[in-house]
Amino acid sequence: MRLTALDEVSERLGLKRGQGVAEARAMFPNLDLHDEDEAADRTLLEAIADWCDRYTPLVSVDGRDGIFLDITGCAHLLGGEEALLKDVLGRLQQMGFDAKGAISSSPGLSWAACRFGSGGVISDDCGRSNLAPLPVAALRLPEAMVSGLQKLGLKRIGDLLHLPRAPLARRFGTLLLLRLDQALGANEEAISPRRPVAALSVERRLAEPFQDEEQILRLTGQIAGSLKPGLEARGAGGRVFELVLFRVDGKVFRLKAGTSQPLRDPGRIAKLFSERLTAVQDGFDAGYGFELLRLNVLQHETLKSVQDDFGRRQQDEVLLADFIDRVSARFGTDCLLSASLKQSHMPERAEVFIPAIAGQAKTGDVKGDRVLRQVMLRPLRLFRYPEPMEAFAATVPDGPPQRFRWRKVIHEVIRAEGPERISAEWWLDEPEEDERDYFRLESELGRRLWVFRKGRYNGAKQAPVWRVHGIFA
Amino acid sequence: MAEHATAQEALFALREQIARMEGKALPALAASQQADAAAGIEPSIHRLSGMRHSLEIPALDAALDGGLPLNGITEIRTRLMGDAGAASGFVLALVARLKQSAAAGLRVLWISELVSMQEAGRPYANGMASFGLAPEDILYAAPRKLEDALWIAEAAIGSAALGAIILEVRGNLKHFGLTESRRLSLRAKAAGRPLFILRHAGDEEASSALFRFLAEPAPASERRLPDGSMLGGSIGHPVFRLTLEKSRNPAPLSFHLEWNPRDRQFSLVHKPGDAFSSQQPPAHRGDRLSASGNGQDRPPALGPVLAFERAS
Repeated sequence: MRLTALDEVSERLGLKRGQGVAEARAMFPNLDLHDEDEAADRTLLEAIADWCDRYTPLVSVDGRDGIFLDITGCAHLLGGEEALLKDVLGRLQQMGFDAKGAISSSPGLSWAACRFGSGGVISDDCGRSNLAPLPVAALRLPEAMVSGLQKLGLKRIGDLLHLPRAPLARRFGTLLLLRLDQALGANEEAISPRRPVAALSVERRLAEPFQDEEQILRLTGQIAGSLKPGLEARGAGGRVFELVLFRVDGKVFRLKAGTSQPLRDPGRIAKLFSERLTAVQDGFDAGYGFELLRLNVLQHETLKSVQDDFGRRQQDEVLLADFIDRVSARFGTDCLLSASLKQSHMPERAEVFIPAIAGQAKTGDVKGDRVLRQVMLRPLRLFRYPEPMEAFAATVPDGPPQRFRWRKVIHEVIRAEGPERISAEWWLDEPEEDERDYFRLESELGRRLWVFRKGRYNGAKQAPVWRVHGIFA
Repeated sequence: MAEHATAQEALFALREQIARMEGKALPALAASQQADAAAGIEPSIHRLSGMRHSLEIPALDAALDGGLPLNGITEIRTRLMGDAGAASGFVLALVARLKQSAAAGLRVLWISELVSMQEAGRPYANGMASFGLAPEDILYAAPRKLEDALWIAEAAIGSAALGAIILEVRGNLKHFGLTESRRLSLRAKAAGRPLFILRHAGDEEASSALFRFLAEPAPASERRLPDGSMLGGSIGHPVFRLTLEKSRNPAPLSFHLEWNPRDRQFSLVHKPGDAFSSQQPPAHRGDRLSASGNGQDRPPALGPVLAFERAS
């Protein structure tokens, strides 16, 4: 067992990473040791990255202990790069983290300056001079390559800068040159952000943290109002909104709410989140309050601006959309469904349920042939999985049964209609799938059922199976 | 004399208050009808026609005080899960009638718990199309918990976008008693929207529903041939056996109703043993099968039932 991480005190005592535990114990018998928990470390790092969202939407996690922020165009919001770096490090320190940071024009240089240099803000023109004195390990190279370089006496990056590139590439591969170029900014390197960047985003920083749900919602309404001009400029309305709440102690809550129609109205946006907040009640802890609220539009669609008329129809559409959004925000999008018809003659494939929020306007791919559908009678309720039944005294070869047992009860068949033969869809099913013969049966109690027989009574390999598939009115 | 007039006034005020609580027409109007009735004139059944939907069967409309209430709860229950087809059919038939009479498109919300969906099957849009309900007219809600279902029902009643709400539950649920149904009933009354409670395998229970039907299946009518005769052995329009268990009439009313999906029209079917009077008890008691062990086979209480206990 070896030491993988040290706190400040033990570093001061002279312990090193990679040192054996036995040796460290021999030096300091009362050492406080904990097993490494990589998953927990990762979660912590992710949480810090979440917290870093307050500075820029482009945040990515780097390795086990690093975070990249792409602050292009964000620094001026916090009073310049110096102030930004001071703010980040200061806040992290207050939370008890020992963090180092650097701002430069390329991720590679920042990485190097952070881990091997003094950090701080590095201006564009002194990138090269800052990089030169750092060890070659600062180039994010594999260990074997680093030791290879060191054997040749190339200890610092400055040693590499003067060498001709072709022999270096031949000796160490192109990775070395790539890393070198990336560190110098000659090769543009993009960080991969953890979250998709919101199309539109508004936020409000609070001098005094908020705890009260109502205040949060009121403020959400306000900032949603400032989202409106942006949406109007695009001629769009939001379909998916995200409310990000930054708690004072660094925890970040993200609430997502979808809408069935493009939405711009601040009042309705705020209402969505009021349902959402109620729904997540248990997982939501205001603690000491929130200091930053942000409202993102993750998805938007063209919003057709229609002038209000006096008719009820259009008003109803809005009310319905509002109802769907509220229920879906509260109980999830799977809670409210609408049926959509499909072009299939297999009964169970002819209808699919889709979330109401997804396709309010769409009505499946069957539209014109409603007359055709009415020709054959279909049950009011259909079992998702046809239920097994035992048929007695069925007329051979293709008649209805006289009596059947379903759900442990024997039913006498008084009347029967059928068969209606439905063949399997060979383009989807097995080619040898048997066709089904559907019957409408009426039992002595007056219950009307839709049953089918799969297979035939022809002395072939298998006896046919009977299933109950639906219930008629 | 003056004292008498004051007493009269107080009496009228009280009557008016009671009428308002019961949701009836005001007594001033009712008094004239009483006078009519005393004189042997058939009482007008269109007293509350604004908030009632006539089923176009005079006897039934009279029993329902003018028709199906559009601002309250109507409960449809079955004794057994197996009768779900008849109950669903009857509810959808009522909704289809409402839709036909509504000028604009009427949207329906069907709230149902997962158990009912599994036991009685999922609503099938192709089947409902023959009832005149297009798939885009109906929204389905499948909440996980009963509290969620009640919340959705309440929100739906409050939203003007939905014309009718069907709440499907199974059995008598502990958290859906008189208080909850009273709450829903008040909401429905305030909003002027009908709520149908479809209770599978449930007992009679005190509730705030204006009317309660017991739905049972009955043999379907035979298919009508073009020449007016019937095709023997065929299964035609569905027939429901309904018992109006709760209404302003003292005795339950039992009848067979045939539903014609094409015309969206109910018609009475006269069968031997049908009782359309309050004298005869319902011919069909539905006690073919033994009651389940869930406390239903307790000894019957003595004397007339004044109020149902909680069945849950």
